[in-house]
Amino acid sequence: MDLDLEKQIERTIYRAALALDTQQWNDWFALCDEKFEYAITSFSPEINKDMIYFSGDKKELKGLMDMLPKHNTDHSPLHRHTSVYTIDVAKNGETATAVSSVIVYQNMLDGQNSHLDSGESRLFVIGHYHDKFIIKDGMAKFAHREAKLDNRRLDKGSHWPI
Amino acid sequence: MSKSSSQFVDSRIFSDPEIFEDELEYIFKQVWVPVCHESEVAQPYDFRTTSIARENILVVRAHDNKVNAFLNVCPHRGMLIERRPQGSFLEGQPSGNPKRITCMFHAWQFDMRGNCVYVAREKEGYQDRFSKNDAGLRRLRCEVKYGGFVWVNLNDQPQISLEEWVGDALEDMSVSIEHSPLEVFHYHKAVLGRNYKENHDDLIKFRQNITNKLKINDGLSEGSSNSRLRHLGFGHVISGMLRRQHQGEEVSRLYGELLDWAHTTQLPLRSDKLDEQLQRISAMMKSEIKEIIKANAPDQEKVRESETTHNLSFPNMKRGEWLIVDLFPGFHFTIHGSALSVMTVTPLAPDEVMLEVRGLGLKGDTEGIRSKRISDHNEVWSPLNIGLPAWQRDSDLEEQGNDEQYFRQYYNEWGRIMDRLPSNVDEKFLAPPTDVATTPPSKKRIFERPGLHVVVIGASHAGINVADKMRKNGFDGNITILDRQSGGPMERPPLSKAFLLESDQKSNSNYLLKQKKWYRTNDIRLRTKTSVEKINLETKKLILNDGEQIQFDKLVIASGAVPRTLPIAEGIGNVFVLRQPSDAISIRKQASAAKKIIIIGGGYIGLEVAASLRKKGLDIDVVEVADRILARVASAPAANFLADLHTSHGVSLLTGKGVDEIIEQNGVFAGVKLSDGTALSGDMLLIGIGVLPDSKLAYEAGLDTLMDDGGAILVDENMYTSHPDVLAVGDVALLRGQKATVESVHNAQETSAVAAATLTKATPPMIQAPWFWSDQYDTKLQSVGIVPVGDERVYQISRPGKREGGISFWSYRENDLVAVEVFSDPATYMEAKQCLDTGRSPDPNLIGDSSFSPISH
Repeated sequence: MDLDLEKQIERTIYRAALALDTQQWNDWFALCDEKFEYAITSFSPEINKDMIYFSGDKKELKGLMDMLPKHNTDHSPLHRHTSVYTIDVAKNGETATAVSSVIVYQNMLDGQNSHLDSGESRLFVIGHYHDKFIIKDGMAKFAHREAKLDNRRLDKGSHWPI
Repeated sequence: MSKSSSQFVDSRIFSDPEIFEDELEYIFKQVWVPVCHESEVAQPYDFRTTSIARENILVVRAHDNKVNAFLNVCPHRGMLIERRPQGSFLEGQPSGNPKRITCMFHAWQFDMRGNCVYVAREKEGYQDRFSKNDAGLRRLRCEVKYGGFVWVNLNDQPQISLEEWVGDALEDMSVSIEHSPLEVFHYHKAVLGRNYKENHDDLIKFRQNITNKLKINDGLSEGSSNSRLRHLGFGHVISGMLRRQHQGEEVSRLYGELLDWAHTTQLPLRSDKLDEQLQRISAMMKSEIKEIIKANAPDQEKVRESETTHNLSFPNMKRGEWLIVDLFPGFHFTIHGSALSVMTVTPLAPDEVMLEVRGLGLKGDTEGIRSKRISDHNEVWSPLNIGLPAWQRDSDLEEQGNDEQYFRQYYNEWGRIMDRLPSNVDEKFLAPPTDVATTPPSKKRIFERPGLHVVVIGASHAGINVADKMRKNGFDGNITILDRQSGGPMERPPLSKAFLLESDQKSNSNYLLKQKKWYRTNDIRLRTKTSVEKINLETKKLILNDGEQIQFDKLVIASGAVPRTLPIAEGIGNVFVLRQPSDAISIRKQASAAKKIIIIGGGYIGLEVAASLRKKGLDIDVVEVADRILARVASAPAANFLADLHTSHGVSLLTGKGVDEIIEQNGVFAGVKLSDGTALSGDMLLIGIGVLPDSKLAYEAGLDTLMDDGGAILVDENMYTSHPDVLAVGDVALLRGQKATVESVHNAQETSAVAAATLTKATPPMIQAPWFWSDQYDTKLQSVGIVPVGDERVYQISRPGKREGGISFWSYRENDLVAVEVFSDPATYMEAKQCLDTGRSPDPNLIGDSSFSPISH
């Protein structure tokens, strides 16, 4: 088992969390392969179905990120707490999968009454990252990320990737 | 121009706790709420929990597939029973048995119909003071309708039916959402710190942005687009953009081709150049466009697949069309792209509302198609919508302009129900002059009028007509019509004629007795799928099959008749009777696969079906036990004329023969054995041997009927039965002293007009001679008067028609004209009717001469 590779994958996941926290979208994209695909999913016990709340590839995501400045959104920053649970590298060393726990807090900035709300931190969503990596020249890059949320109730939210 | 204070809503309607409580009581506990979709309780014993106005609700699918709703509360100690959001009662729970709804507190158990089936220590604890039969879950009014949504009304006796309340709002959408079974693929909810009405207002603005923007994005000029908005009753609004009807359809088609072309060729498009590009495209022949596509598409299969999903829409919608329906007070249905998205509101507090969002596709979606629908739904309704959907770019930072009427409509309805003036909640509501609600109703009876409540059992010709005539006579009380059947009440005569020739598996709305709008315009409540189990004459209440009780001041029984059946044919497949639209649909469905039908009964129903199905190419045997067809209802010459007509079309008429045996194979009809030993084979059997008055309810209630054990309900000349508050009309009623009922549209219309006059104290209608008609092949029979069959003093004289193929048979009793049967000669029919309506008897010695005028002598 290539411990360096596992370490690198773990660091890539954490770097992604930091890039997303700070809304450095290009830094995040730099960690992703050109064929990267991203999805936010959830299982709903209410309708007993797996659901897709968002899906898109790198090109689509980039396009959408470019539109963010024109969009009315909640400006409360999100902070991800990520713990990498498992990393499994394929025998041929070309791909790997990882499962991480993720908890996202929302540090309130906007609000019904920002005079009161701003500065408070609230739990935003919880879930897991199910990541797939492609390994080229010893470098692991995100090939696919599924942010699988436990939340089906999402109140006032953001328009940013989890 | 400055606006007066009445131009604004009072801000207290968004924040006052007392008003909020009233809203729960008078709005949310009175309206029909779409609580979930039937696909969320897909299998028997599946359940879903929800709530309306703080009342916990349990929705279950019973073992018979019927969806029921109950308060999710145990009747024993008021404990919440089911705490999961969704699941199945098929499996046992720690505190309960399989297939039971069990309260974990004291283990009382209920079946899927809410009946209490187990009370712990019933005998030991209660002895004979209480039985489980005395308990049950509190059942709620529940309907599955409009694309399979489960609608619940917390009012046990809703002041208005779901169909009336929805009205036309979902009519445009119904062709799409009722095309195929739907399935929920998306669910999420959000609790927002705002009043539910603010959410509604924002959705209205959002919609305006969409429709305004679509005009630009689609490259359609405002004049040619079909973006529209309609205000409907009860505060509902429908809007959207449909291309299917407008004159710019050609532009739309070309635009679609342009998009397809661009999609395939990667041609960059600029929205500001669309018109120019369209002109270029339109100059090209379609075949040339296809050639270009072909030349530029290296992988045809991939292109086809891509085009399929690229152009995917909802059934009967075109890509790019939007349809948005807002149901008061905040239920939002949208078809956009290929998905149906539905948002419902649950107010939690004056400043808090829960929104639930569902996305729906078709149950039969392939994986690829479902994926596209999810993508289209997410473009607007995802809780984590990253970036911006294409249509919203550049527009969401600017107000596109408001149509105040949206808001006026909504807040007028709010004011009407709450009996508060929206602009000043301290004042009572005053409907504006243009508002349909001119009389402010009381709070608790928001949809009710003052005055008598007349209930009509049966949405037959007679039942509908009595309501119609009462309104025309000026009756301003409440009218409720209860109908066992689903869908709108239909005309019966076409069922054996044109209706059978159609290929659609659904009822054609052309045959509706009244269009939906009529019920709303006349404020007549139609409740379909509603069976009356019992009439309690002492309390003047009707007990419905679900236990609901309806109070009436006056009752009109218009339950009609039911077809006679043959006991020997019971339980055999492909055996039919014909009375209801569902019967006709079953017959025409089976007829499409059958080669031969045997019809027992040579009456009008049997002969009309024979004529209709012969047109479809079926071989037909008609078996009649009497010596001739129409032995009970037509003269011998008229019957012979029709017999010749049928024979000439290849129908085999077997008269004077009874049916001794029904031959079946594996439970399915295969033929009949006649009384003379003849065996006939066939693929389907129609039993058309007459009808029996549907008087069971009346008989059991103690009303006088023709026979000691039932039969027609006896009425006097005012249509009153033996009870002073109950009337009977139509096929079920028989005037005291007469021997047999008359089953015809004329009888239905006349008796119901008399009943309406009785109830409204209006002048009774003029009594006309009974009339009747029948269409068989290309021949029209019109009959006026009643042919006294079996009276030896009666004779017929034939009279040549005024047009080719026409003939009439004039029946006289001695010198008195009693009936005329006219074939394909409307002018003669009118003369005959005039004679009988005015009591004129033309000379029987001259009537056979076509140059003799029966009305001028």
